Amino acid sequence: MAFILRGAADVRPHESIIMKALIDWFDDRTGFKELMHEALYERVPGGARWRYVWGSTLVFTFTLQVITGFMLWSAYSPSTRTAWESVYYIQHELTLGFLVRGVHHFAAQAMVVLMAIHLIQVVIDGAYKAPRELNFWMGLVLLQIVLGLSLTGYLLPWDQKGYYATQVTTNIMSATPIVGDQIQTLAQGGTEYGHLTLTRFFAMHAGILPTLLVAFLAVHIYVFRRHGLTVHDENHAPETTFWPDQVLKDAVACLVVLAVVMLLAIFKGVELSAPADPSVKFDAARPEWYFLFLFRFLHFEVVNKLGVTFGAIIVPGIIMGVVAMMPLTHKYLGEFGHTLNKSFTWLLGAAIVVLTAMAIIEDREDESHQAALAEAHRDGARALELAAGPDRIPVDGAVELLRRDPFTQGPRLFAKHCSACHRYNGHDGRGTMVVDKAGIAAPTAADLGGFGSRDWMRSVVVDYANHFSWQKNATWFKDAQKAEAAGEDVTYLNPDDSEMASWADADSLRSADNADNLTALVEFLYSEADAGYKPLDADERAAFSNPLAADPALVGTGRAVATEGAWAGDLQGSSCVDCHTSIGEDFVAVSDDDADGYPTLAKYGSAVWLKDFIRNPGAARHYGEKNQMPAYSPQQLRDDELDLLVRWMTGDYLPSEVHDYENRLEDLSGSLPTSSSAGSSAPTAAEE
Amino acid sequence: MSDAEAPAPSASADPPAVDPPGRRELLAAVLSFLLGVVPAAIGGLFFLDPILRRKTDSGSGAGDQTMDGFVKLDITPENLVEEGAPVASTVIADLDDAWNRFKDVPIGSIWLRRQQGGEIVAFNSICPHLGCSINYRRGENDFHCPCHASSFDLDGATANDTPPRDMDSLEIVVATDGRPDPNGTELWVKYQNFRRGTPEKKPI
Ligand code: FES
Repeated sequence: MAFILRGAADVRPHESIIMKALIDWFDDRTGFKELMHEALYERVPGGARWRYVWGSTLVFTFTLQVITGFMLWSAYSPSTRTAWESVYYIQHELTLGFLVRGVHHFAAQAMVVLMAIHLIQVVIDGAYKAPRELNFWMGLVLLQIVLGLSLTGYLLPWDQKGYYATQVTTNIMSATPIVGDQIQTLAQGGTEYGHLTLTRFFAMHAGILPTLLVAFLAVHIYVFRRHGLTVHDENHAPETTFWPDQVLKDAVACLVVLAVVMLLAIFKGVELSAPADPSVKFDAARPEWYFLFLFRFLHFEVVNKLGVTFGAIIVPGIIMGVVAMMPLTHKYLGEFGHTLNKSFTWLLGAAIVVLTAMAIIEDREDESHQAALAEAHRDGARALELAAGPDRIPVDGAVELLRRDPFTQGPRLFAKHCSACHRYNGHDGRGTMVVDKAGIAAPTAADLGGFGSRDWMRSVVVDYANHFSWQKNATWFKDAQKAEAAGEDVTYLNPDDSEMASWADADSLRSADNADNLTALVEFLYSEADAGYKPLDADERAAFSNPLAADPALVGTGRAVATEGAWAGDLQGSSCVDCHTSIGEDFVAVSDDDADGYPTLAKYGSAVWLKDFIRNPGAARHYGEKNQMPAYSPQQLRDDELDLLVRWMTGDYLPSEVHDYENRLEDLSGSLPTSSSAGSSAPTAAEE
Repeated sequence: MSDAEAPAPSASADPPAVDPPGRRELLAAVLSFLLGVVPAAIGGLFFLDPILRRKTDSGSGAGDQTMDGFVKLDITPENLVEEGAPVASTVIADLDDAWNRFKDVPIGSIWLRRQQGGEIVAFNSICPHLGCSINYRRGENDFHCPCHASSFDLDGATANDTPPRDMDSLEIVVATDGRPDPNGTELWVKYQNFRRGTPEKKPI
């Protein structure tokens, strides 16, 4: 290499002369040679060492943040209706957006970790001692600035996670004595979160804090150079200079940081949870992992007894105070002070590790937190799916996409209004088991997990008694049976003792001759429920092919079975229409006088049927006198809510690939006492 | 200007023509100070807007039974059974956010319950501890906040030491056509948020 260079210089000597002249001219006017010399040829007594790399890695990581930050800035739009949306666009549509955001996200975390290491190193090496105490304090200020950057950055995507976690932080600010309210209002840009919270956080994050950081960093490095390295062991190796020995080590360390950050960005990725919605509870809120220890600390009841101000402000303030006093501790107590400082650092570190681990382990074991997390992931994934969907994001924001999405709202409405009696695949609709004082509660009405599906229809036809057996857990059922046993004349719905169950008992229904007929009947019933997405937009509707559509050929045969009794064997001539006179017709909400006395099966399981049923289950066209379900008036369940609930149950939403809640029917039947009549004969999962 | 022409203070024959150095220093200092302070003051005051700005709508008489500041709920009194499980209701109203007005959007959520004796109580669902959301736990039959495990009884009273105060109760009025009427069929709530983390309940 050296040979080649020398050779090149030999070949064109005049070029190197020109170069030298240029450099001299430039140096004459700027003095950069001396500057470079000073920067690169700093003495490193005791030789280059790995323990000196931390400062450099921090400068490098900050540079990384500036570059990726400016790029993110070029596509980010701070307002409550555009922040999440623009971050979505950065992450999922812009070239390498996921990488730029990913690097920014993980480098921010790396910075916190590196700062902690840097601080520990400084304390261990005693680099905080006079005359470096001023620089130590500046380092602590830098630490605060970096934490401020991470805090402000966490909110900017305006997703549920950042929104709720940051709320806790700004609420903590309000616990500051005397000026708490004002601080909080200033940070938020008002009394509540809104557009101005974002614009102000963004100004802090991208403008004010980085400027302060650069200013303090410049002085920090200048003062550091003034005092030189704190050398642990002068005789470790022969003295060298910063360039190239230490630079090499620094560069390797920075490369490791870069590699780790990139690998995390590529393989782990950054989450974007659902768009922030103040009206949607978010029980999974947690701060960034490096604040978890503080979060866990605030969890102790004793800490809370002393007040939020004590736990969240006074204690952290005292700890920072002790750290800041370290140079003085050493000054007045000498080497003992240094030992004290080191012990304090290790103790603090251990406490942080223990509290963090506690928080993580407790969350892992906390079923309701896991359920909240599952819901948060489901919402987040769905929001991304809708944003990328054919309708894109409306101007009123992605939050409206979710508010109008049956897949998102259905489970919540089900949990709120239906899960006191019904279950959905064993859970409450949101993936959580329903509990009462005694533990997992037995449902007292049908499990609606597979409502309207082929399996549901088949089960209703051939296994009627078992299909509706959950209601035997209900008090009304037990009371009615008691009354009946006492010889009273009671009208109630007994699945074991019903016309439908005895009809379904016929052997020929299950005979091989009727297998095809039964399948056709099921397909016909399934087609009546008309499951699947029905886009509002006409073009979209025309282009959409419904994966849930019924097989038309089978439906034709099935219709003949249902309305003409086209069975084989004994069942021949016995059709559904004998009792359910309106089967196969359009649904009409006939008056009680006109009802046929059997539950109407006109468009059974469809949106129009379901809506009418939920509003009037006790009408003669449904269960009449035998009904036990409360009617849901628009005061309890608004029309738009009913619509969302019903569309969810009938699959009328943009089809989703999002991982849905697990089927928990087994958890349910497994947990119920065997004495429970329905427990052992629980219907199998509606979906195979 | 060549060195030779540089006026030496001692060479000045006409002292009043040149200000004494003391005065010039003072002037320079004052000017520099102003140059720094004026822009900083402008910027600072702008930044302080959130606490300087006067609230536009405040102080509707709380005692007089006008329905100012009250929001009508979807839910009606007959939906609340005495001593039943608390019922969650979303408060829908217009929301002003800086330059935007959002029409009829959810602005918050409340818990409603009819106490023994028939009285209806309403609580803001925001936790007085640090602002997470309070849930109703069917298993324990209590209110619970999952963030730092605050618990409350069904009447909103604290049930452990975590929360600094009881749940924030809200004024609620039974009405007919927007006028208070104990036998009415409408529920109106005065939806407010309160400072979190403090023992006193201070509206924000
Ligand atoms: S916010 Fe509710 S317990 Fe802390």
